[in-house]
Amino acid sequence: MTIVIGALQYLGYVLIFPGFLFCFLAGMLLCGIDRKLVAKMQKRVGPPVLQPFYDFFKLCGKETIVPAAAERITFMLAPLVGLAALVVIQLFIPVFGFTAFSGMADIIVILYLLLIPALAIILGGAASGSPYAGVGLSREMVTIISCELPLVLVLLAVAKTVGDEMGTGLCFSLSSIAQYQMLNGSLITKISMVPAAVALLLIIPGETGNHPFDAAEAETEICEGMLAEYSGAPLGVFKLSHAVKMLTLTSLFVALFLGGLGTGILPLDVLLMFLLCAVITAVAISFVHAVTARLRIEQIFKYYWTVVSALALISLVLAWYGL
Amino acid sequence: MNFLGNVLSYQHFPIYAIMVLFLGSFLIAVFGENRIARNILALLSITASLGFILKLVGPVLMDGEIIAYWMGAREPAGGYAIGIALEVDALSLFFALLVSIAVFVSGVYSIQYMNRDDNEKEYYTLYLLLCGGVMGMVLSGDLFNMFIMVEILTFAAVALTAFRNTVRGAVEAAFKYLVVGCMGSTCILVGTAILYAQTHTLNFAQLSQLVPGDVNTATKVAFALLFVGFGTKAFIVPFHPLAADAHGAAPASISVIISGVLTKSGIYGIIRITYFLFQSMGLGTMQFLLVFIGSLSMFICVTMALAQHDFKRLLAFHSISQIGYVLTAVGLCTALGVSAGLYHAINHTLFKGLLFLAAGAVLHETGTTDLNKLGGLAKKMPYTTVLFLVGAFSISGVPPFNGFASKWMVYQATYQKAVESGNIGFLLVTIIALVTSVLTLASFVKVSHSVFFGQLPEGLEHVKEVSFGMRFAMAIFAVLCVVTGLFPNLVTSYLTEPAARAVFNVAHYIEAMGFDGSAVTEPVAVSFSHVGTWDPVSWLLVLCIALLSVTIVAVGSKYDNVSRSKAAATESKYELFYGGEAQELSQLGGDDLFWGFKHNWRGYFNYMHRLHSGIVNDYALWAVVDLALVMLFSLIVL
Repeated sequence: MTIVIGALQYLGYVLIFPGFLFCFLAGMLLCGIDRKLVAKMQKRVGPPVLQPFYDFFKLCGKETIVPAAAERITFMLAPLVGLAALVVIQLFIPVFGFTAFSGMADIIVILYLLLIPALAIILGGAASGSPYAGVGLSREMVTIISCELPLVLVLLAVAKTVGDEMGTGLCFSLSSIAQYQMLNGSLITKISMVPAAVALLLIIPGETGNHPFDAAEAETEICEGMLAEYSGAPLGVFKLSHAVKMLTLTSLFVALFLGGLGTGILPLDVLLMFLLCAVITAVAISFVHAVTARLRIEQIFKYYWTVVSALALISLVLAWYGL
Repeated sequence: MNFLGNVLSYQHFPIYAIMVLFLGSFLIAVFGENRIARNILALLSITASLGFILKLVGPVLMDGEIIAYWMGAREPAGGYAIGIALEVDALSLFFALLVSIAVFVSGVYSIQYMNRDDNEKEYYTLYLLLCGGVMGMVLSGDLFNMFIMVEILTFAAVALTAFRNTVRGAVEAAFKYLVVGCMGSTCILVGTAILYAQTHTLNFAQLSQLVPGDVNTATKVAFALLFVGFGTKAFIVPFHPLAADAHGAAPASISVIISGVLTKSGIYGIIRITYFLFQSMGLGTMQFLLVFIGSLSMFICVTMALAQHDFKRLLAFHSISQIGYVLTAVGLCTALGVSAGLYHAINHTLFKGLLFLAAGAVLHETGTTDLNKLGGLAKKMPYTTVLFLVGAFSISGVPPFNGFASKWMVYQATYQKAVESGNIGFLLVTIIALVTSVLTLASFVKVSHSVFFGQLPEGLEHVKEVSFGMRFAMAIFAVLCVVTGLFPNLVTSYLTEPAARAVFNVAHYIEAMGFDGSAVTEPVAVSFSHVGTWDPVSWLLVLCIALLSVTIVAVGSKYDNVSRSKAAATESKYELFYGGEAQELSQLGGDDLFWGFKHNWRGYFNYMHRLHSGIVNDYALWAVVDLALVMLFSLIVL
């Protein structure tokens, strides 16, 4: 009996909260808020906040066309794998004190799990056989390489800081990082972690492929790159994945740097986390989107491997010497 | 009956495992004209060898027994080992297991793969000679035997590199390999001679007893010679260009052996001399040497791979890059580090074998491995594509495949070492390892896009899937890749941890041969504590539930409302861009796919391009310079 209840509980985690339903609703809402905010910053009216939902349902009702040159199975499967992988990552990210699945993956694993959705979109694009997708996937891969170095530095800095304070020397576990922050306050209050937090804020738009780091999708020049041949429901799923990725990365930021603000009451915590995610979206995605123009791919690479990596490196060195 | 029982005792199995391979080789040389007889002989000898090694797993890896085998029962006389000895501890057997698995799969693959070549008899003779050489090397208990086996395997590998001598560059590649490989072998011979002059013995156990207590200028020079000699066998920097040429030219089944097994034998030699003969791994400087060369191999070779546009050359550079991980982890001299390194060694054999076999399948069907001439094969060769993707995901460290499990242990080991020793240099190694991993992924995205996805070029419309025998061989590797990735705890507790314990228990190794190991410091407490957590099976379960539910929802909401595009690919209008732009506008060249990355590193890439001149004189010079530097290093620090 207890096994059945346990299984049902985990199924609930996967399907409802913090799995699918939550990812779908929160991700789409974040996406809507982002679009509205950018419009406001650019003195446009902008779409309603619920526009991403309308777009998604409309796309799902449309016919899907598979190009003649495409490898069909990969083409159709890629969006689904990408979305599922993203939802699973969301299960590992703590909501302040609450983690759906703890003890299964640590931050280095999450770094690698984040590659799977990106790989899904890359392979899907490659399987479509379109040259636009070829250009797009080349740029997407370079963007991933660009973000990887600073992201690694940020994660190592956090692991070292928390490990030092906990006396273990190193700490890769996300739930331990959450616990540490419950006891000692948010990591962002430590001076040494501020550069890393700024670096992660700058990494978020790069990882999600938002402006100005969206060379891989550049609608005006390569017709959304890897998505060029996608239509109908698979395209909708990719759009949804993009929204969920925004949620995943912003909530990762909350878990790493803004933990410890929780009240201990789950519904309140969830609301708080969503609000924080929205604020981070506004700062890291919408604002940057509104005030910048798209960068070329080699500029993106240079920016991440110099400016952002330097910020993260400062944190790592400070954390190393226990400051 | 007693005689039979004696002959079948597992004490003899190490020599049987070596003998059947050599025996098979000689028999094929004599009776190999007939195709069926040849195949049966080859399969028999590799299966028998695998069987003998598997039989030894129980006593040696599980129970920790060390098999000391004196050939012809010539026990040491007067305190000195005179006879030839085999000594099989967990470390030797671990490598022997890798060898026999790779040899078995590659042998099964060869039967179909080589059926369009002439001189199959010579191929199998040399192939079994190569395999026997590697097997003999890892099971050998004395240094001179090891040298003999190194010579056998080097010459067999050189001959097999030039086997397809009609292929452009094959003879040249073999020549380069011959020159530098012989320099390496000579180094090993001279090192052996110096040690023999100093200690009057060649037996590993006795050398391990005598050498560390008596380190003088001569033994320091011997160390440098042996280190560089085994370095050429592992193709670590600066010997990596040879690997690229050799793999590019050799048949794929031989590339599996060269990359999956021969490089491991070099690593095995390095472990034996650093941990056992000289017992110098406690020195921080010696750890620095291994970790430095390892990290350098890791990074230089992955960037070299990014610049390649030949499938097999690219794989060759990745091979050395992964060997860099192994060497780095082994060089940390921590229990977790050695265990991680050995784990990565298994995984490297499996996924690199798989990738080379997939490259061989593409070559077999299309006749080329040039990335710029291939494309869209996923529709023609679906099984090969899936198997290739398993290998590509494994080597790039995508969870839950095996490359991730071992790389993740390497990261932990390096970072733990950095924290414990307070040395910020090891932190840099962690970062290099993590970045190398993502560059590896980039490189394999390039391969999968330009070989298996994208547009099918003209002239490849009639490509067919490879035969069942070849797919079967690839599938063995693919299944092992998934299994070793999903159950990391089983692999570490049954395979790598016993081997890592053997590495740290030198006294036991010496005493098993009947020598006095009391001078060696007591075995250090070996603990394999992990920092991180990773539970692949549960993760996969959750992913499957998630994927299933997404699929159900998607299919329910008309996801499969699909129609084929009416645009026929053959119409000139749709050739490349559906908008009909000219072909020149496409910037899809296989070697130029990651322009954004390379542009920023153009200084480095141009420098590397100039440096790798392809002239054998340069590479020989590198070997000499490397030897001089290592010699200087060992004279100062050892």
